[in-house]
Amino acid sequence: MSRLTIAIPSKGRLKEQTEDWLASLGHPLRQIGGERGYTAEIDGLDAEVRLLSAREIAQGLIEGSLHYGVTGEDLLHDLAPDGAQDFAVLKRLGFGGADVVVAVPQAWFDVDSMADLEAAGAAFRKAHGRRLRVATKYLRLTRRFFAQKSVGEYRLVESAGATEAAPSTGTADVIVDITTTGATLKANGLKILRDGVILQSEAAFTQSVRANFGEAARQAADQLTGALSQADHIS
Amino acid sequence: MNRDALVAVARAVFEAAGGTPIDPDYVLPADIPLELSGEAVRARLCVFTDNRGAEMVMRPDLTLPVAQREAARLGEAGASAKTYTYAARAFRLPAAPDDPFEFTQVGLERFGYGADPAADADLFALVHRAVEACGVQPKSIVTGDLAIFPAFIDALGLPGVTTDLLKRAFRQEGGVRAVLDAASRPLDTDVLAALEADDAEAALGAVLAARAIPLAGARSLAEIVDGLRARRAAIEAGGLPDAARTALLALRDVDCPLAEAPERLAALARAQGLPGAETALAAFALRVEKILALVPGARRTAAFRAGFGRRFTYYDGFVFEVLAEGLAPTQPVAAGGRYDGLIAGLSSGRVSATGIGGVVRPDRMVRVRRAGA
Repeated sequence: MSRLTIAIPSKGRLKEQTEDWLASLGHPLRQIGGERGYTAEIDGLDAEVRLLSAREIAQGLIEGSLHYGVTGEDLLHDLAPDGAQDFAVLKRLGFGGADVVVAVPQAWFDVDSMADLEAAGAAFRKAHGRRLRVATKYLRLTRRFFAQKSVGEYRLVESAGATEAAPSTGTADVIVDITTTGATLKANGLKILRDGVILQSEAAFTQSVRANFGEAARQAADQLTGALSQADHIS
Repeated sequence: MNRDALVAVARAVFEAAGGTPIDPDYVLPADIPLELSGEAVRARLCVFTDNRGAEMVMRPDLTLPVAQREAARLGEAGASAKTYTYAARAFRLPAAPDDPFEFTQVGLERFGYGADPAADADLFALVHRAVEACGVQPKSIVTGDLAIFPAFIDALGLPGVTTDLLKRAFRQEGGVRAVLDAASRPLDTDVLAALEADDAEAALGAVLAARAIPLAGARSLAEIVDGLRARRAAIEAGGLPDAARTALLALRDVDCPLAEAPERLAALARAQGLPGAETALAAFALRVEKILALVPGARRTAAFRAGFGRRFTYYDGFVFEVLAEGLAPTQPVAAGGRYDGLIAGLSSGRVSATGIGGVVRPDRMVRVRRAGA
């Protein structure tokens, strides 16, 4: 990995907004092999650009197989074994914003806060002989947040998608999921706990703390971060 | 001595104390540790998925699979006291870079004997002897007692809701403070009115219908009504009185030589006016006396910390760890404690038996001996 390696999201709004942002820095993106290609070049920069899923980008940054990447903070925080020390956010980009939240059925009038959830979990275990199920794709984030709030009476159920449907389909009672407006949660009969916002996430330009920077990579990195700090001065 | 030689030495110490050698199941359903101890333990478990998608774990210690076997035996054979010894592999995800994935624990578990201070001291002395037999001098020993905090809470005479909450919170990472600081919000008036109705469940069902809220998930209306009543009781109780808060924070901070601990705790109970804690404190004092009689060196090496062991998930009484020169405080060479609720927890209450056990870690003692050589 002698050349600077940068990853950006391979599709959707996140990709478009990342392209706009790079262009605003004076380094527009040129995709190789047209719209369907998975590599690209950045004008005026000696770098290998990979188009990957946001999850792969977060994983690559944490492992050190990428130097830089644009991905969601939710994924970075969740995939990092040791939390925020496993990556370095250089700039939050102001798009791709969403909250990772704890939500329970609206019918649970007795549960408004994490402390209420703790009490409900303890009573549930007594009544059912098993722990309350929490469905999520954010396994580490959930575990850390629940521990910090002293909530221990639960079991995690890994969710591959449509987490908000878990309570109505019976696979779980509580969910931890990402939401922008809360409308989907509401439509599924769920409410966000008062102190249940785990993370306010945005797309973030992030540097790996484990990747090795050779001479060539270092030079290109300086050029890119130089453009970034210049842009910050202007705006 | 290499590791195998240390294993043999430690094993001989435990086997001399009596007991049946056992090498229980390596692979357990993940439900066993996770339902018992919660998700907090998952970070250290070696979990895998079988061909049907069921989560399984490699045994994270020997206590769990031995206790599981014992629970099954008690279910068939009825109650009788029994001792097991083992020298066997256990598997955990490393917490530190120099921790191994798999390691040997040499130890002993006793089920169904009297759970008294003499039994605690006896087990402690046995584990201590096994460490010394391996040629390792304990640098320090940390002890705790997971029954003391609950005894103080009971003695405070708080409403049941608060008492239960505090006892649970003590064992969680965030501790008591995280729960205490989250003051409860008042309930909506229509919900409060439903609680007053003759048939509170039906009335609450009507509130749901009026607000067009579906009832999803495994919690029933009856459980939600119970939850609301508990919350109303907590709100009416007005949270934790200042005196109780002071007492619990003072207890949490006790950290002193083991020999001084009985007097420190007794003084605390006197100062806070908690005569209800006397029984627990008398048992504690007797245990300390017996430990110091059996292991005089503990007067110099052993400390008592009130918060120690609160995250040791299934332990519920006396707990200890033995530390040696050259290893991190998170890498004890020996550890043990009492878990009187474990058999009941593993069998969903079908059988119950007292339990106490301890282990030594030959792999760590090899490192201590190498560093000291």
